[in-house]
Amino acid sequence: MTDRVAWTERLRRHFPWITLTTLVILVGITDFNFLRPDNLLNLAADIVPLLIMAIGMTLVIYIGSIDLSSQSIANMATVLTTIALPSFGVGSGLLVLVAGLAFGAVSGVVTTRLKVPSFISTLAVGGIALSVGQFASGQQALHMDAEMRRHAFGWMVGRTAGIPHELIVALLLVVAAWFIQGRMTAGRTFKAIGAGEPVAVASGIRVERYKILAFALSGMFAAIAGLVFSVKLSGGSPTLAEGFLLPAIVAVLVGGTPLTGGVGGVVNTVIGTMIVAVVRASMLYLNIPAMGQQIFFGLVLIVAIASTIDRSKMRIVK
Amino acid sequence: MFELRNVEKRYPGVHVLKGIDLSIAPGEIIGLVGENGAGKSTLMKIIYGAVQPDAGTIEIDGAPVHFRSPRDAMKMGIGMVYQEQSLIPNLSVMENIFLGFEQQFVHLGVIRWKKMAQAARVQLRKVKLDIDPGMITSRLTFAQRQLVELAKVLALEERVEGHLVILLDEPTSVLSKDEIELLFSLVRELRRRASFIFVSHRLDEIIALSDRIYVLKDGLVVDVIPAREARVETIQKKMVGRDIALEYYRENRQEPYDADKVLLELDHVVLPGRQHDVSLTLHAGEVLALVGVEGAGREGILRAIFGLKKPDKGTIRIRGEAMRTFSASHSVAQGVGYIPRERKIEGIASGMNVYENMTLSQMGHYSRGGVLDIPAERALARDWIRRLSIKVPSEESDCGNLSGGNQQKVVLAKWRSGGSDIILLDHPTRGLDIGAKEDVYDMVRDMCADGVGVILVADTLEEAIGLSHTIAVIKDGEIKTWFTCQLGAKPSLYDLIHHMV
Repeated sequence: MTDRVAWTERLRRHFPWITLTTLVILVGITDFNFLRPDNLLNLAADIVPLLIMAIGMTLVIYIGSIDLSSQSIANMATVLTTIALPSFGVGSGLLVLVAGLAFGAVSGVVTTRLKVPSFISTLAVGGIALSVGQFASGQQALHMDAEMRRHAFGWMVGRTAGIPHELIVALLLVVAAWFIQGRMTAGRTFKAIGAGEPVAVASGIRVERYKILAFALSGMFAAIAGLVFSVKLSGGSPTLAEGFLLPAIVAVLVGGTPLTGGVGGVVNTVIGTMIVAVVRASMLYLNIPAMGQQIFFGLVLIVAIASTIDRSKMRIVK
Repeated sequence: MFELRNVEKRYPGVHVLKGIDLSIAPGEIIGLVGENGAGKSTLMKIIYGAVQPDAGTIEIDGAPVHFRSPRDAMKMGIGMVYQEQSLIPNLSVMENIFLGFEQQFVHLGVIRWKKMAQAARVQLRKVKLDIDPGMITSRLTFAQRQLVELAKVLALEERVEGHLVILLDEPTSVLSKDEIELLFSLVRELRRRASFIFVSHRLDEIIALSDRIYVLKDGLVVDVIPAREARVETIQKKMVGRDIALEYYRENRQEPYDADKVLLELDHVVLPGRQHDVSLTLHAGEVLALVGVEGAGREGILRAIFGLKKPDKGTIRIRGEAMRTFSASHSVAQGVGYIPRERKIEGIASGMNVYENMTLSQMGHYSRGGVLDIPAERALARDWIRRLSIKVPSEESDCGNLSGGNQQKVVLAKWRSGGSDIILLDHPTRGLDIGAKEDVYDMVRDMCADGVGVILVADTLEEAIGLSHTIAVIKDGEIKTWFTCQLGAKPSLYDLIHHMV
């Protein structure tokens, strides 16, 4: 019996990339144009903001929590970047980063010190971030001055040898997150918290600090996602990143990081995001209206959670 | 007649029950005794349907039965009165009594409370409890709740054919003397209605109440004694079994400790919720055992030293320095290591491999600027795998898949490799088989030889006596008396039990 368990367990680990390859082949068969390198590159460049947000989300889900504030923080970030650009130039990016970090840290503090479950604390902090964005923008879409944008963030757009620059930015962030997760004490601690928080506590680890760190990093990644998105679209609005949250969570879970945490990680999320991208693209090929996407992602989310969750860690679900 | 024939149960790494035969005649009261880890609780779980046996049969009046759940067992008249009570505190007494069996009172989809209250009163009368069935359970005393629990089981009587078998798991552990008398006379009276299986650590009670006594040891029934002929000492002897080698606890390796080197001092420490203060001194190379019944306050002392609990008063000094901050990370930094009772919850992170588990408490030593030196971690793990002969394919194996003994070795290696010299052992051999236990005993002696001080909350009294240099007997949070356990002058079980209860 243990053999069979180990076997399904092993298969589960490979499930994400098998899904991805299958999907790519399926869509490729339907329309061969899909497989053309420039199409794939465009597809990849399009999902960069989502990928960055999902990477941050991964760290929080990895410790067994959830971050529902990402989308709102990204929204706020688009507004703040656009507003701050004239006065701070490239510094506006740093400013937004710090804002995201701070909002995430607040979620972390509320979760650990006040013992508010993360789905509530991040929902609340997300609400605050959304309002900050609305106030700052005066509830309207803002536009960046083309010259300032080129001067401050020109390096983020454009291509080198056919590779979109934002893809390189995303790659660097993935590597950074992967390094934190796999090679640093913080990442090891995140894993321990996800795998068994009482063990981490009983090993003398200051678990609360690391949890706050995970939330703060998630907030920062969400802010970077907003920054990249606003540069890409040359403007900001408090609703610009609408519709990001669900796909980001789906990307993490489909990638193989279960809600209970401890397994999976950044690389899984890269694959998960690609799956989301391919599914999205296939909807275009299959002429499914954009409005229907959230229905689909909602269903995928339920299936992904139900099939990846480690039930031995969650006896009772409330 | 309720019978078990050759019942076996295995868990990964342990053969808990190795073929148990047990029979209960109608109206009979049998006692079930054994040390922790002898298999008592697993046996009980099999009887009331919470666990399914791997082999053997359960028969009622000669017909084999299969229980897939406690509810199945209840339908056949087997009921359990839980030690940690199973009543739901915010429901009324009658709702608790008929929990899951409300259907009989339902009329057109609505529960008729009057009818339920009436039926509940009938059950309460059986246990001579005169309370309002509509009362909220949390407002009852502990003894009253226990009787309600018994009434709940007795309510099976009207629903099943044949005789009831009722398990009483340590029913007297928190009752006063009068309450115990009351319970016993009640049980004797109820023999008309049911047979009882009575589990207790208090052997005199077992002898007083039961007809026959089953002695369990290492998953086997080593003897069945008619209670009339039973004596506490003989049962004890059977429970422990004298076939154990004299050096089982590695007494031959017990060296005197270094009385000049004080590692840890508790100076009139009062823990939250306790009346009395605790003072003790731990020296280098000493094993200090805290003995007492469940709930006497042994774990509280360990948790305070480990910084998980802040004392109300008094000082804890580590190597002469008073502890001011109470957090696990602080204690760990001071060289305290904790081997928890709940190995799978607090000891081992399953899903993490051997080296990740070993360095979890000391990542600072294996990283620079927050970046881990993984090759050094691996080398450490390989070294300790060899030193403690941990049976594991490689240092990258998931610790969740190891046997209990090997998991415990990993936990010990975690603290030993980090240089902790005050080691708190909370039931370190719980659930381990004999071989693994002996390995742990060897490791305790190794630690002492290295000048480590050990505070031990042992799985059994024998273990405490065998391993320790000093024993503190604790009752209701107070150290009642001290024993020195020098080689050749160890106190007997009886000496200790005498002060424990």
